[in-house]
Amino acid sequence: MSVNVELSSFFGRYTDNHLHIKVEGSTTGECLDDLIRQFPKLKRLLFDKYGNFHHGYDLFVNGESVYPMGLKKPVKDGDKMNVVFIIQGG
Amino acid sequence: MLTEKEKQRYDRQIMIYGFGEAGQEKLKKAKVFIAGAGGLGSPVATYLAAAGIGTLRIADHDTVELSNLNRQVLHWEENIGNEKAASAAEKLRKLNPEITIETIPETITEANASRLVGDADLIVDAMDNLPTRYLLNKTAIEKGIPFFHGAVYGFEGRAMTVIPGKTACLNCLYHGAEVPREKFPVIGVTPAVIGCIQATEVIKYITGMGELLTGRLLNYDALRMQFSEFKVNRDPECEHCGKQGR
Repeated sequence: MSVNVELSSFFGRYTDNHLHIKVEGSTTGECLDDLIRQFPKLKRLLFDKYGNFHHGYDLFVNGESVYPMGLKKPVKDGDKMNVVFIIQGG
Repeated sequence: MLTEKEKQRYDRQIMIYGFGEAGQEKLKKAKVFIAGAGGLGSPVATYLAAAGIGTLRIADHDTVELSNLNRQVLHWEENIGNEKAASAAEKLRKLNPEITIETIPETITEANASRLVGDADLIVDAMDNLPTRYLLNKTAIEKGIPFFHGAVYGFEGRAMTVIPGKTACLNCLYHGAEVPREKFPVIGVTPAVIGCIQATEVIKYITGMGELLTGRLLNYDALRMQFSEFKVNRDPECEHCGKQGR
């Protein structure tokens, strides 16, 4: 499956400013794996040292949260996946 | 009843279709709790004061520092070292002497949150950390009053409105996730935009106008000058507003 990943400007420093990226995968987790294969700097950002998806980030597919399926949520060809980081500043 | 001076002062917004003197009277009767008088709290308080909210209760335990002044526009260089709540109130009273400004120079904690919010009609989340945001979200749900969330980082911001019992809450969105509290980058125009969105939502809620930013997280990316939305569903298992929480 080909999925369109959309990132906010924040991620640009880890992706050479690519914010719209095509990835392959049948689940959100596989899509993230392919995203990291293309932009390895994202690995330390998105995953902790135990390989768990970091709590400070969220995934949305076609504008809807992947909770509670998380990285196991199936995706379809042409889906849009957003990686969003949790912000707390005021 | 509005005074003649109030009718004149708020003439341009009273003119808005569907707003009228009735809308202005609703604003006058409203009591708003603003948690934080910093980057977000400054525009929120300024525009709510200008709009004629009857009572603003502003809580902030901090004092003004030089490094605040790039974004916390209610505080000026002469206020460095002063309490932020008092500094904000001083400017807001000059902007609109017709309204009541209450200041609370205290840290919001689990022990005092309910008391500090008191009989306010709603809570504006202008905090700078997730734990207090969750605490205020929970307090709003317990009191059955709306919660207006906003947050910023660099050139990006988020906003969402919560109506307890009806729409997803902050905990439905983040599921209790915690991120390390650290110094964050930000430029003043970002909280200016997000704070104005929060103030707009408050005015819409009080006057009953329009469609609220509920069940969706608004995402603002200023560097691309794009607004996007993500759907946020209520979590039946939410520890704040789900069956476990209430």
